[in-house]
Amino acid sequence: MRRVAMVGAGMTQFGELFHLGIKDMLPMAVGEAVASVDKGFDRGDIGAAWFGELVSTDGFASGILADSCGLLDIPVSHLENACATGNDAVRHGVMAIASGMYDVVLVVGADKVRETSTRTTFWDWMGMTRDSAWDFPLGLVAPANFALHVNRYLHESPATREHMAMVAVKNHRHGVSNPKAQLRFEITIEQVLNAPMVVEPFGLFDCTPQSDGAAAVILVAEDVVDRYTDRPVWVRGVGLGVDRVMHAHKRDMTTFPPTVKAAKQAYAMAGVGPGDIDVAECHDCFTGVELINYEDLGFCERFGAHKLVEAGETSVGGRIPVNPSGGLKAKGHPPGATGVAQCVELFEQLRGDASNQVDGARVALAHNIGGPTAVSAVTILGTARGG
Amino acid sequence: MTRSNTTAGPDSMITAVGTYLPPWGAARRRTPGLDEDAVTLCVAAGLAALRSVDPADVGRVVLVSRDLPLIEGSNSAAVLAGLGLRADTEICEVIGGAPAVLDALTGAAPGTLVIGADTSPAGAAAAYCGTSGAALTASGRITRSMPVVTRDAFGRRADYADPRLVRVRGLGASLDQLDRSVPIAAAAGLAGRDAKSVCATEPRDLPTEGPSAALFALATLAELGRPAGQMQRLLAVEQATLGLADLGPGEINVQRDERAPRPVPSGTTAPGSEMSISLAAYERAFDAKLRLVAARCRRCGTLAYPHRYRCLGCGSEDPTDAVALPRDAEIYTLSTIHVPVPGLVSPYTIVVAELGDSGVRVTVRLTGAAAGSVGIGDRGRLVFRLVAVRSGVPDYGYAFLPDDDTEVTA
Ligand SMILES: [Zn+2]
Repeated sequence: MRRVAMVGAGMTQFGELFHLGIKDMLPMAVGEAVASVDKGFDRGDIGAAWFGELVSTDGFASGILADSCGLLDIPVSHLENACATGNDAVRHGVMAIASGMYDVVLVVGADKVRETSTRTTFWDWMGMTRDSAWDFPLGLVAPANFALHVNRYLHESPATREHMAMVAVKNHRHGVSNPKAQLRFEITIEQVLNAPMVVEPFGLFDCTPQSDGAAAVILVAEDVVDRYTDRPVWVRGVGLGVDRVMHAHKRDMTTFPPTVKAAKQAYAMAGVGPGDIDVAECHDCFTGVELINYEDLGFCERFGAHKLVEAGETSVGGRIPVNPSGGLKAKGHPPGATGVAQCVELFEQLRGDASNQVDGARVALAHNIGGPTAVSAVTILGTARGG
Repeated sequence: MTRSNTTAGPDSMITAVGTYLPPWGAARRRTPGLDEDAVTLCVAAGLAALRSVDPADVGRVVLVSRDLPLIEGSNSAAVLAGLGLRADTEICEVIGGAPAVLDALTGAAPGTLVIGADTSPAGAAAAYCGTSGAALTASGRITRSMPVVTRDAFGRRADYADPRLVRVRGLGASLDQLDRSVPIAAAAGLAGRDAKSVCATEPRDLPTEGPSAALFALATLAELGRPAGQMQRLLAVEQATLGLADLGPGEINVQRDERAPRPVPSGTTAPGSEMSISLAAYERAFDAKLRLVAARCRRCGTLAYPHRYRCLGCGSEDPTDAVALPRDAEIYTLSTIHVPVPGLVSPYTIVVAELGDSGVRVTVRLTGAAAGSVGIGDRGRLVFRLVAVRSGVPDYGYAFLPDDDTEVTA
């Protein structure tokens, strides 16, 4: 298996990009990734491309990426794996190079959530992700899927809504310096706790905003990396885990087994453990989910997540900074783009170029959970080539 | 056109009566929950009546209502499923009021379950006619026209608004044509004042005025402790159409599923697109969803709900056995949705509940209690409710009803 390096990364602004169509966002993200390659990049080098998008906007997804980005002479594939789409698209790009089939692969993720009215978005998106006869008619809206987990988690763990609020405050603070973030303002614990209730236990500031956005990374084989940069970021490990889809079939809802499975695979492939991670971008679609992630990713013991936020250990400057970009909470969450954008952030962190830099970051972890809560993808990046 | 019949019909034996009132609204004027319609009301009352009856003995079901949700189609299948009766049970839907219920009861063969349901005021009641209990004999009937209030197939209403005309030329003129030698013990289908004027003694208020009122009246008479050996006369009224029946001596098992009334919770409905439905998926799920039946693996015994091709426990893909699930439930986790959701009324609560000791969990909505009023570990039971109306199709299933110490009122 060949080693795989990331040599370029770029993304659009995240936000309600009413003025941009998917065909504008894709070439913008790809262009920024191409421009970030230190020694220059010829698009003709790309052997294949993967496009992660949850809901196709303006039609046939692969064709739109190929057409809008001038990739008409290579294979282009569309990939959808719920909210784990982004990191799973990266995983597919890694496999394509590791196998020896391609030397250079483009991985793009995007979604245009705000292309439709919030009224119709609701059921349009729900219909794809819920069992038609059983769960769909209950009104199990996206936050409710996670709320079922987090309420049980709050019941069993010492964590409280205040700890969830600490996550929101931290990620908003982190996002202020990120020019690509959707919500660049600080908030207080009181604001979080007093915000209107959306879906218990999530108030308005416990939830990710609805976002449009695109992100792209360029992956190359070890054999050719010197052509593009002298300071590559290595993709050390990838993993993908799944679980039963219906909540009624999940025995312990205080944890996300897909995350545990995906992380185990990625750690094993990278030859590192949770203690080696210097910085992480994890899936904080709702604040309480970030707490569960700490435990599933092994950053702390079971039901110990509240201590991490209390002590500020997951803030930039702490022992293991999580979501220095602002996370989904402040940076935004266009589902297909989210995982790829996490890798964009970590690419910059590992090269010392990030807007909210974690000093001395050498090993980094990106994580998605979705489906709802039935699929997770984890990517581990590092400055060292690895064994 | 008038028709009068004062000859006695054949006796039927009323064995058991069950009643159901939604918990919302005023004590004697209930409002159906958002997840209730005439079908779910019929099921609730029918199940109350059948508490002391072997369902295998039920050979025929008669639904009497003017509020059944579907003109074409599937009311009956949903009621049979909700009652846990076989799909080959004879069932008919009667559009009628309280007199039609008396007609269905008198002359009913043993094994007949007669259910009446009303949505305004809301309530339903059912009587099971068996081989024991108290005899019910028809003792008079008159069908006359006095359409002071009308409602067409599209629900358009018109009200002539002349109560004196109805009292004098409707009820009064019809009563004049019936045998009045026996005093009336209970009157169904009349507002309180009119009921008082025709009854020999102070009548009990009934919670409904349509078909179910005749059955509520029967329940009340059965509970009142009747003088031994004496029969009691029941009057059923709908506009100018009347029926009379005499209830003989004998014990009737009365089961009430009635909770203390509480204010109708306020909610907001978001405008926007409604839920769509896949009728193919609806049909595949129908029996499991409306009968609360799981599939048990023949190899390892694991229960799967809903039924599935491959066993959750051992991966067997062999045929499974259908197993009825327990209905007592405990909340494992829950969430209350406050944000407006197009087509639904917010707030609403969704719970994941564990059923008895079956190990099976279900994801269902909370019913019969205000959203957010329950917590993890709370106990209750699953009840038959309307989950949603999707593309015009009532989509029935089960909801979690928390235990409540106001459960039974006599
Ligand atoms: Zn099995």
